[in-house]
Amino acid sequence: MKTNLAIKTQNLTHTVKTAEEELTILNDVSIQITEGESVAIVGASGSGKSTLLGLIAGLDVSSSGDVFLYDHNLSALDEESRADVRGKYVGFVFQSFHLLPSLTALENVMLPGELKGDKEAKQKATEFLNQVGLSHRLQHYPRQLSGGEQQRVAVARAFASTPKVLFADEPTGNLDSDNGKIVTDLLFGLNEKQGTTLVLVTHDQGLAQRCSRQILMSSGRISEPTPLVEE
Amino acid sequence: MLAVKMLIREIRNGDVLTLLFALILSVSTVTGIDLFVDRLQTSFTVQSATLLAADRVVRSNAAISAERVEYAREQSLEVAQKTSFSSMVFSNEGLQLSQVSAVTESYPLRGSYLIDNESFGVGYEVENGPKIGEIWVSSRLASLLDVTIGDAVFVGEKELVIKHFLVRDPGSTGSAFAIAPRAVINQGDLVATEVIQPGSRARYSLLLAGDEEGLNQYEEWVTPNLQKGERWRTPKSGGQGVNAAINRAESFLLLAGTLAVVMSGVAMALASSRYVRRHLTQVAVIKTLGATPKKIASILLSQLAIIFIVGTGVGLLLGWLIQEMIALSLASLLSTVLPNASITNLWLGFITGLMSLLAFCLPLLMRLFNVSPLTVLHPAGKIQLKSLQLYIVALLGMYLLMVIYTGGVLLPSIMIVAIFVVAMVIGLIGFALFKLGRQLTSGVVSGWQIGLASLHRRLMGNLFQLLVFTLIIMLGLILIGVQSSLVSDWQKQLPNDAPNHYLFNVQESEVAQISDIANELQIPVNEWYPMVRGRVFQINGQEADTLIIEGKEEPELLSREMNLTWSNTLGEDNVLLEGEFGSDIQGLSIEESAAKEINLKLGDVIGIKIGGLDYQLPITSIRSVDWSSMRPNFYLILPQSILSDFPANYVSSVFIEKENVQSFYKKMADFPTVSMLNVGDLIQQIQTIIAQVSQAIQLVLFFILSSAVLVLNASVRASLDERLEEGALLRTLGASKTLIRQSMLVEFGFLGFSAGVIGALAAELCLFGLQTFVFELTPTFHPLMWILGPTTGFFVVSIIGLYAGKSVLTVPPMRMLRSL
Repeated sequence: MKTNLAIKTQNLTHTVKTAEEELTILNDVSIQITEGESVAIVGASGSGKSTLLGLIAGLDVSSSGDVFLYDHNLSALDEESRADVRGKYVGFVFQSFHLLPSLTALENVMLPGELKGDKEAKQKATEFLNQVGLSHRLQHYPRQLSGGEQQRVAVARAFASTPKVLFADEPTGNLDSDNGKIVTDLLFGLNEKQGTTLVLVTHDQGLAQRCSRQILMSSGRISEPTPLVEE
Repeated sequence: MLAVKMLIREIRNGDVLTLLFALILSVSTVTGIDLFVDRLQTSFTVQSATLLAADRVVRSNAAISAERVEYAREQSLEVAQKTSFSSMVFSNEGLQLSQVSAVTESYPLRGSYLIDNESFGVGYEVENGPKIGEIWVSSRLASLLDVTIGDAVFVGEKELVIKHFLVRDPGSTGSAFAIAPRAVINQGDLVATEVIQPGSRARYSLLLAGDEEGLNQYEEWVTPNLQKGERWRTPKSGGQGVNAAINRAESFLLLAGTLAVVMSGVAMALASSRYVRRHLTQVAVIKTLGATPKKIASILLSQLAIIFIVGTGVGLLLGWLIQEMIALSLASLLSTVLPNASITNLWLGFITGLMSLLAFCLPLLMRLFNVSPLTVLHPAGKIQLKSLQLYIVALLGMYLLMVIYTGGVLLPSIMIVAIFVVAMVIGLIGFALFKLGRQLTSGVVSGWQIGLASLHRRLMGNLFQLLVFTLIIMLGLILIGVQSSLVSDWQKQLPNDAPNHYLFNVQESEVAQISDIANELQIPVNEWYPMVRGRVFQINGQEADTLIIEGKEEPELLSREMNLTWSNTLGEDNVLLEGEFGSDIQGLSIEESAAKEINLKLGDVIGIKIGGLDYQLPITSIRSVDWSSMRPNFYLILPQSILSDFPANYVSSVFIEKENVQSFYKKMADFPTVSMLNVGDLIQQIQTIIAQVSQAIQLVLFFILSSAVLVLNASVRASLDERLEEGALLRTLGASKTLIRQSMLVEFGFLGFSAGVIGALAAELCLFGLQTFVFELTPTFHPLMWILGPTTGFFVVSIIGLYAGKSVLTVPPMRMLRSL
């Protein structure tokens, strides 16, 4: 496998069992994402975008098929090793921010570094919060921050672990357009600056169009890249 | 360390605090009660020891061997000796058969003598007995001999000078059948009296006192090789009335502790489940940041360990302080000082803390280890917190703790079965009630409808909460019920006018005269019983001597000559257990414990020697006797047809008020052969103990009920998030404060009220079981509980609910929704 390939999936299929039937959420999905690329996964609700994101980020295991994150076949790893890989390669930004309510902004951003035992976690975190323009909010708790500010903290947290790949699930979904723009600019700015691969799931046409490539999902399969389909 | 750092951050947020408080509550409650019970027990033992004049006594019909004394000294025990015998005491004016005891300098080891310098005075306490050459005589003996202080009397060959009037001889209060008036001399004068000759009937006591270890060592050594006629006495083997009271109090306090365990278990489980629920997503987020399951487990377990150390430490300290406070407040009430609490008893609190975390917290927490990081994308993937497995582990843990706590399985089993049944009943009743409530209010748009609709909508959550409320209310009611029936039972058992004097040696012709005197002084006299001495010599044709097992205590029935009586009706403190009783029955009636001691049953034939004649009589009835009633009672009651042929003495008991004592004693001086035994001290001691215990259990009750309210509070708060969210939503939709307040009142009020009703029902059933099997009291109906349960449930739950939920009415809905 070439090293400039960040993510590769082969015949990825994911099914879930419900009381009545077996639902196929992803059906034979094969994609490749090269290092430094920015990719938007788009599609209607229920098309399997988030499931695909979860699988390629190593948050879940597919029913069949393989996921490679750099040299690691995530499908063959147990949760312990997948977590290791996530810690080394991956950062996340979520639609609902998912900041830890009991931690201040600074502590939230320090957390990835602390988990790795990084002694400079605090200094780095301060730096990143500075970069997202929140140096005056270091000691604030999430509940004391606006939605836009919370998402900026989340972005700082994601980049604080200097990930090779940043996954974002509807990063602007809960924000107004002004805040959405600020967060988008931050994501792409930092992406460029750190050479991170950016994979995001979004309904936001503007956001999708800023990516170098779009993958359109439909009923669990990949369709040709087309303009976004609105719900 | 990351775990510590994270824990400190968590503490600021409050969730960990809830868990910590629950742990502290559980450890401190159990520790407090346990330490306090231990102190009470020690105090009872000390009090009982004063009745025995020592911690332990070896009693013997033969002189105490030097070996017995030597071994006691080796164990560093304090030693005293007493020799009791009947002897004539002479004065210039006359002679009188007396019960004399000769004691060593150190006697009594526990308790004190009560003496006076006035005849028939009330007395003052002194620590040691008479010196050589002195004699102390009871006022009755002095008046019979017509002597006073300073006069000389003879015991056998020895002339002794009366130094004081003896009011109370410690260690003799319990032996109700010592008939003759008393005197006490120094053991140093005993030989000179020449009263004790080979073959003389005397009772020798070796009194021991010291630390438990030495005493237990001695007991282990002496009990296997007790000689014939030797008995080992402990404070518990005397004073049955006191023991019954203490045992029940112990059971009560154990029950209280057990309930504390259950309650704190509920509190722990509630706090843990809230903690876990709130941390599901957080753990998932941390996992996306690269924390491995191992790392998560190590962080959470380290945090749990820290919580354990801090919570248990603080809990133990608090428990210590709490029992110290209870003890202090008791001391001021009763002017008694309880012995100090022992540090070694803290282990129970420690175990409670550990078990609580293992049973109620860890299983829930372990669910967090396996949270899928995918939860951050799909909240629907949340794990199920309520499962059978969790309940089983929690119930098992609770049961185990209760077993450790009570040292038995009866009480815990009753409690667990009760909890289980309550859960089942609640499942059914709650379901039906909520459904009915929903149907009754359909179509009506009001706070009522919203409230009842919410009850139905969150059915499982509400049923669980109903279970918790019901449990807490049930436990509270059980405690109140047991406490009040215990206290009233004790008061009934030993009323203020319980007999305080026994009259012995009354001739048939004197019965009427003495009754007249008593009537004149308005002193109530109980029934007169004729008393004939006799001895059991055969059981079912087998010689009694052969039934005594070497090294074991002699059975009551076989060990001595005993007092027999006849009666055509059962005394009011006797209960017929088996067989028939009445004037036409030609058999004997035996007391339950005496029968059990040598496995006697109805139909067994007992051979009795009375006045040189032998009789063989079948057992025709078995009775239980309330020995604490202070009325004359007998192990054996024989048919009148047999005993009426023998000359009998009569015995009865009377209650004499303090101000009447002197005048009654003076009138009784006309009956020199009649003996009186004052058991007022014994009664007062029992009453003091009972008062002490009653106070103690009331305090413990208050303590537990307070924690019950805390647990209720925790439980209401545990369910608050969802309710607040709903309230905030309703307000954004334009609902008025009144409407929301009303709907919350309906929801909480309904829950509280239903919990109260079911709790009262369950408590009534439990009380029936507890009174019947554990406390051995007559089961009673408790109408008060049926009022107390529902009203407390309604008001407490509503008030806590409305108070905790008031933020939904005051905080802007937007902020409320965001903070959840």
